[in-house]
Amino acid sequence: MIKRSFFTLSQPRLNYDLVEPDPKELESIPIPPNLILLLNEPIDSTRQALIKKGDAVEKGEKLCLYNDSTEYTISPVTGTLTNLDIYLDDFGNTSTYLVIKNDQSQTTKTDSATYDLKDDIASADQYLRTLPGAPPLKILASDDIKINTIVITCADTDLLSTTNQYVTFKFLDEIKEGAKILKKITKVPKLCITIPEDLNIKERFDSIKVFKTALKYPSNLPAMVLKDHLSMILPAGKKPEDIGVCFISAEAVVSLAKAYKTKSADFEKILTVIGKKGTQYRVKATIGTPLHKIFKAFGIFVNDQDRIVIGGPMMGFSTYTHLHPVQPDMDTVMIQDRDIIPEVSDYPCVNCGKCLRICPANVPVNLLVRYLEADLYEEAADKYDIASCIECGLCAYVCTAKIPLFQYIRIGKHELLKLRAEV
Amino acid sequence: MNNNKLTVSHAPFWHDGDSLFKMNLNIMIATLPAIIFGIIQFGAPAVGVLALSLSSAMVWELILNVTSKKKITIGDLDSAVIGLVFGMMLPATSPWWLVITGTFVAVVIGKMIFGGIGANPFNPALVGMAFLMLSWKVFFDFDAAYVNYEFSFTALAPLAALKLQGVNAVTDFFPLGDLIMGKQVGAIGSTFGLGLIIGGIYLILRGYIRWEIPVSFIAGIIVTALCFSMANPDTYAGPMLHLFSGYTLLGAFSLATENSSSPANRIPMFIYGFSAAAMIILMRNIGIYADGTVLAILLLNLVNPLIDKIRPKALGKGVNNA
Repeated sequence: MIKRSFFTLSQPRLNYDLVEPDPKELESIPIPPNLILLLNEPIDSTRQALIKKGDAVEKGEKLCLYNDSTEYTISPVTGTLTNLDIYLDDFGNTSTYLVIKNDQSQTTKTDSATYDLKDDIASADQYLRTLPGAPPLKILASDDIKINTIVITCADTDLLSTTNQYVTFKFLDEIKEGAKILKKITKVPKLCITIPEDLNIKERFDSIKVFKTALKYPSNLPAMVLKDHLSMILPAGKKPEDIGVCFISAEAVVSLAKAYKTKSADFEKILTVIGKKGTQYRVKATIGTPLHKIFKAFGIFVNDQDRIVIGGPMMGFSTYTHLHPVQPDMDTVMIQDRDIIPEVSDYPCVNCGKCLRICPANVPVNLLVRYLEADLYEEAADKYDIASCIECGLCAYVCTAKIPLFQYIRIGKHELLKLRAEV
Repeated sequence: MNNNKLTVSHAPFWHDGDSLFKMNLNIMIATLPAIIFGIIQFGAPAVGVLALSLSSAMVWELILNVTSKKKITIGDLDSAVIGLVFGMMLPATSPWWLVITGTFVAVVIGKMIFGGIGANPFNPALVGMAFLMLSWKVFFDFDAAYVNYEFSFTALAPLAALKLQGVNAVTDFFPLGDLIMGKQVGAIGSTFGLGLIIGGIYLILRGYIRWEIPVSFIAGIIVTALCFSMANPDTYAGPMLHLFSGYTLLGAFSLATENSSSPANRIPMFIYGFSAAAMIILMRNIGIYADGTVLAILLLNLVNPLIDKIRPKALGKGVNNA
């Protein structure tokens, strides 16, 4: 954990990690006997699902709940579906998890199912959404959203993660290939790529604009990239796609290139794993692998009250089970020992102003939190700019009173969405 | 398969390790140079006043915590800081009941009834101080307070002397070097200018006070006093006498910078510091008080919420290019 320096006249510097100049080969995790897939659609008990317990599934088979489902997942192995049930995330949103028993002999023998991939975005969206890196094909294929710029992010958004940098280092040719495919299938005129300015990549990219992003957190966040490099200000409460920009991770581009080459899907997700002492491992695991398999491979023991953090120390989320599966968009897994988990407190804000001086979006967090604590969400939105928050987590990182500011803001945004949906 | 109970919480999963305890402890450490000097200068009574002030402030908060059946919060050292700063503003000869009454007003009325830490609209120590100054004015006559002391320098409080004897008498009595090195009569923690500046710089470097407030405060004192002095040098003293006498430096580094009652945005901090200082000089030069620091900062505490509304536009606010 990066602590405050002794002299803090200027703001604390949280710098992104850089991938080492000569990265080691990836550690490969064998495909486990049971895989867990998450499907972003809740089970409707009144309807007959297309898939049920005991169904045989094939490697590369598309699984969805109902005929009119828009969400799907792809089975990375051949085997049997042994369970499907409701999964609740930390905001109470429901989705479905599927447990697939892997038939080892069949999985290794058979190739993944081949897809009928044409040079249009619709066919890619049909099969490739769950590729490693989770390409945002749903956004690109949507008729309602007009995308005119695609930004390939080789710079990882959260601290500690080096997954996308590693991918950039190792698979530059595939990225170029993938970018060509992206351009061809989406017909988006402008392609950009973000690369950390200190990363030693001298390659030239034809017809792709290169953005060298600063080392200081949070310069790789979409809103910051838009502001610093595209000179676009993200309107408060909007997503990048609302102003015609789509972000896609380097790994997703590489997976797309591979998928178009083989006409089938790849399931090996690259992850940065951070052990209890901060040691970094980079690993390749099949999507659906429970996290404890990965910890076991590196001899990391998970004890009671430890914390498993998915997606980086500033913006990630923690899971309640070590059975949580590897997901297509999961770049980082971090485990914190219970002794180093920082406490939060129920103290009120003392108005020291550290949050508002560190906030990259100029949100008056010190005033905002007073309204959020009192559940005054409309005022928080109207007067104190809750919608401008870009969710970097820096306010809560520096808070002297240890108020869970970021959580307050997330709840505030969530409640506002609910309030506005009711109206 | 073992099934551990994991800790589940929310982002961010890191913290910079700072806490209110550390912040307040550092504020107390920063007052040490001035306090040690005050103890050497004024002897054992100064220790007594400081100790009583600090402890009684904490006891008042404890009593309030217990009677209101709330969590015990004295561990954050907030009332300890209030007590310490309050003690620094008292003359060493203050009677015990004065100290206890003062800390009662400071902690209970100034802080706890507004809702405790972070909710006080005024600097609690100043609320207590203003109460005492208005009620028992006689104890704040520093010349009378130290009548039984023997000093190696002019035993006059500079600001009172300025008020009563005029600027010509004062410039002879108080060379700048003596003022900076604490050779003047005043409150326990306010006489040693150099010590206060060292403590203030320490706090600024550690990031526990915001540099904008003390800097603009000192600039305000110098600019305003210089204006007066240039307009009429026979009536008004120069900026250095104002800067190194009375509560000025204590105000700049410890009183005006109190978190909850001061602004947090940059431009408001400059306005706040500068206007508080300008008010002090106005009170000293035109008003009836010898030292206006306490009331001037309280007045600006009152204006704080209003000026803190001047803030930069949030990212993407009012942008309609979607």
